[in-house]
Amino acid sequence: MNILESFKVAIASILSNKMRSFLTMLGIIIGISSVITIVSIGKGGQSAITGEFNKIGVNVLEATIDTSAQINQNDYFTMNDVKNIKSRIPEVLNAAPIFQKGGVTVKVGNETKRAVVIGTNNDYNSILSVNMLYGRFISEKDVLSGRNVVIIDDISSKSLFGYVDSTGKTIKIGERSMMVSATIVGVYKSQGGAFASSFGDRMPVILYTPITFAEKMFQDDFRINQIEILVDNAKSFESASNSINRILSSAHHNKDKYKVDNLMKQLDEVNRILNIFTMIIGAIAGISLVVGGIGVMNIMLVSVTERTREIGIRKAIGATRRDILVQFLIESVIISLIGGAIGMALGILFATIIGSFLGIAPGISFLTVLIAFLFSSAVGIFFGIYPANKASKLDPIEALRYE
Amino acid sequence: MIEVKNLWKVYRTGNIEFTALKGINLFIGKGEYTAIMGPSGSGKSTLMNILGCLDRLTEGRYILNNKDVSKLTDNELARIRNREIGFVFQAFNLLPRLNALENVELPMMYAGISAWERRRRAREALAKVGLEDRMYHRPNELSGGQKQRVAIARAIVLNPSVLMADEPTGNLDTASSYEIMKIFQELNNDGTTVVMVTHEPDIAQYTKRIVMVRDGNIIEDRAVDNRITL
Ligand SMILES: Nc1ncnc2c1ncn2[C@@H]1O[C@H](COP(=O)(O)OP(=O)(O)O)[C@@H](O)[C@H]1O
Ligand SMILES: [Mg+2]
Repeated sequence: MNILESFKVAIASILSNKMRSFLTMLGIIIGISSVITIVSIGKGGQSAITGEFNKIGVNVLEATIDTSAQINQNDYFTMNDVKNIKSRIPEVLNAAPIFQKGGVTVKVGNETKRAVVIGTNNDYNSILSVNMLYGRFISEKDVLSGRNVVIIDDISSKSLFGYVDSTGKTIKIGERSMMVSATIVGVYKSQGGAFASSFGDRMPVILYTPITFAEKMFQDDFRINQIEILVDNAKSFESASNSINRILSSAHHNKDKYKVDNLMKQLDEVNRILNIFTMIIGAIAGISLVVGGIGVMNIMLVSVTERTREIGIRKAIGATRRDILVQFLIESVIISLIGGAIGMALGILFATIIGSFLGIAPGISFLTVLIAFLFSSAVGIFFGIYPANKASKLDPIEALRYE
Repeated sequence: MIEVKNLWKVYRTGNIEFTALKGINLFIGKGEYTAIMGPSGSGKSTLMNILGCLDRLTEGRYILNNKDVSKLTDNELARIRNREIGFVFQAFNLLPRLNALENVELPMMYAGISAWERRRRAREALAKVGLEDRMYHRPNELSGGQKQRVAIARAIVLNPSVLMADEPTGNLDTASSYEIMKIFQELNNDGTTVVMVTHEPDIAQYTKRIVMVRDGNIIEDRAVDNRITL
């Protein structure tokens, strides 16, 4: 008997007991749909995070001082380093110095908040593209004349002033009693997004200021502790990192004091953890698929027993063992595949619904669908083979005598 | 045609052995019409199942159409059941979910015949047994005699050289039984070898030869006197 005939026979038999066929499929439906939901949400989360990182900057390297090493005053970055990195390395398109200081206080009227001050220059914006909502970023003039201007994040602006657009307002910045006035010239969108807002009031104000103003403000504490570097493309990371290290070490006459990292490396780490997470939960969901498979096997065994006489008749008129085996195997594969298809549709639906609640576009890929498809047919074959084999081995005379 | 030499059949159920056939020797030539008779439990069905390649003998030789079938594999036996033997059962053994036409098509499916050709031959076989107007009926919509005629159509659709029947009229009333006997005689007249088990003497009167079995032995083998022809 050819495969097409076997399919017809199998479909007829599935249709002859619709309710039971559906209940058998249910296990597969639940298994496949939960695996697809979880994997899609996981993938969607991953690409959302990747998107955030991409916004920050894909081709960005960050030179920092290796804090695990012994550090001298002379090891800190200088403006000259920034200039050299920018001009001497062909792969480097731009570089910006950063002085970052936490534990700072800002004051508006009687209200005070904790703040982080990032002193940098106008190049920073072309490297890490700050998302300006109002006003402007630090300009070259600001840096040259050490103007007392700041750029504030939208969330802090809202909580300090009650509204987002606070350009033109004055705030006080400083440590302890040494407070300096500064004018807000721009408001940018906080990168943390929904994540940052969950900090509520404990989220510090993040201010950008001209690096020259920061130097005046913090004097002895001031040092350039980081350089942001834009390279032409991700393939240049390796060679650019080496060049940066070489320039820094020869300028400071030291060795192994600097680290050059790219943000994507951190992304890889985040993705790795997320992957493990998705896989573990996916595997737990996969167990339900195995349970579904056992359900298929159970029903197929019942079906073989019920149809013993039919098997006897088929054998008596010339069906071979293979004919019977294929007939029952195709039946279990069809049940699993239909279950798999329904499960897939439900999985995509659930992933879309849950994704819309989480604000994530579910990552439903062709590969996920293909794997689900292959997996459900594998379940059908694996759990169908035993009952089908049992059916094929029946002795025709004994089978015909079965009531 | 059919040649059985020193055929033994021993049934084993756990530790208990039962010898159902005790050294049967039998020759049935082409075109014969033989009735196998004997009391209940004498071994008629056992012999018939072995002749029909549904069961295996314990000892001896069985040569069917010049082929020793005693040592064939399961697959080879399936092929012989499919192509060379048509088997009719007392209990009809039709598939309840299939209509008459589909039931008759079934052996042709296993013979790998195309759907169109199957349909054509199945109609032809059903016409031969007088059921051209019942082709789309399911078994539960047919009388016993009609069911048995569907079963005969199924048995002959691949033109087997032997038609075997184990008490084909056992579940039928007299009128239906005669119809079946008529068909058998027609098939035999057309050259088909027929072997039939029956315990009813009047049914055996339609055949040409009677083989009497008792306790697993052939005790009598004679030609039919005063044969009834329909
Ligand atoms: N599968 C079997 N296992 C054990 N004994 C059997 C089996 N089939 C038949 N027998 C025994 O073999 C003997 C012959 O049976 P059978 O050939 O069916 O007789 P008949 O058809 O002549 O009535 C009977 O005694 C029966 O009980
Ligand atoms: Mg019997």
